[in-house]
Amino acid sequence: MSKTVLLSSIYINPATQKAPFTTVSLPTTSFPRFLPLLPTPCKNDSTGQSPQPHRPLIFCATGAAMIFYFQYEKARLERQRIVEMSKGYGKPKVGGPFTLKDTNGNEFTEKDLLGKYTLIYFGFSHCPDICPDELDKMAEAIDIIQARAPNVLRSIFVSCDPARDTPSVLKSYLSEFHPSLIGLSGTWEQTKHICKQYRVYFSTPPDVKPNEEDYLVDHSIYFYVMDPEGDFVECIGRQDTPESAAGIVLQHVRDWKREGKKIDETPLPYLSQVQGVVGTPA
Amino acid sequence: MVWPFSSSAQNTSTNPNSSGPKSRDGGFIAPDRSAREKCYESRDRLFDCLDRNDILDAVKEDEKSRRVCKGENGVYERDCAKAWIKYFKEKRVMEYNRDRTIERIKEDDARMVAKQKAEKKGRGLFG
Repeated sequence: MSKTVLLSSIYINPATQKAPFTTVSLPTTSFPRFLPLLPTPCKNDSTGQSPQPHRPLIFCATGAAMIFYFQYEKARLERQRIVEMSKGYGKPKVGGPFTLKDTNGNEFTEKDLLGKYTLIYFGFSHCPDICPDELDKMAEAIDIIQARAPNVLRSIFVSCDPARDTPSVLKSYLSEFHPSLIGLSGTWEQTKHICKQYRVYFSTPPDVKPNEEDYLVDHSIYFYVMDPEGDFVECIGRQDTPESAAGIVLQHVRDWKREGKKIDETPLPYLSQVQGVVGTPA
Repeated sequence: MVWPFSSSAQNTSTNPNSSGPKSRDGGFIAPDRSAREKCYESRDRLFDCLDRNDILDAVKEDEKSRRVCKGENGVYERDCAKAWIKYFKEKRVMEYNRDRTIERIKEDDARMVAKQKAEKKGRGLFG
């Protein structure tokens, strides 16, 4: 129905040869100011031929440029909307204070997230296939991000299995995926607390006995992207590839920098350790 | 009965159902990449056998699958952690059902699109 309205309003009365754009029913609020200066698209005189043959070409080129511009702006505004949802009044309460231990046994809190973008994945080391797949994906994404925007990202794996995943277990488990992965674990209460803060579902009962039974932990399968101020930005799900996941983070980093905000770009400790290992003989 | 766990890990658990060898700080060591790969291969060999014998749900048809794919089942249960054994069998059924549902949705969509096209053609360009 709307197509009909549009087409009838663009039709030109050859006798009057008026510009059509004055009658087109398009939203005017979001259109750029240069719209009235566009050439008229179709002027049919009695022979059916356009009097100025290059006009349609200019129109098409301008139209294409407009389409690209709108798509770019739409994507940028969409990202801005996502980011702004995490700031100010009514921001989603994902994230918050927590206390866990890293793989060296040192305390790690939400304050240690500040300064860089963070990718957080919740899982457990006895996971059959999903966590290994997601961690491989995360490792690839980390490499892509490190190559294009060095030292802006911190990568964290939080265990939802406090009874089995101790710091030393996580250290050897995560070493097979990526040297930058920071593994965090804690008591059942601490784990329950961070899962609650991050709205992560996890199913481990407090009194499970790993000595007597083998079990699996149900948990949400998302990467959480946090910004350098420790605020939640968005989730990246299973359907994303390493490239698209890296792309999402890199876009946010670019937007952040474009707004003149600071990112702490000091290299993470693992980089100097990797270089040290490379230097030593096998 | 002493289970032959590797001597490098301190294993104080002699329970075959337990979560595996213990680490130095009291945790339970998870299967590493090569152990996971080994489990995946044994699982795939078992599932090939089940496919050949038209068994979808190895949990419901446990007796039949053990009878028909005895060797593969034995290797699978040796190479995979206890909780994983049941998990992969259930996942097989879930994935099969999911794929059938997706196919059905695609067929329904295609039928609906064809129907709409036929209707549109009948009505002409301006509805």
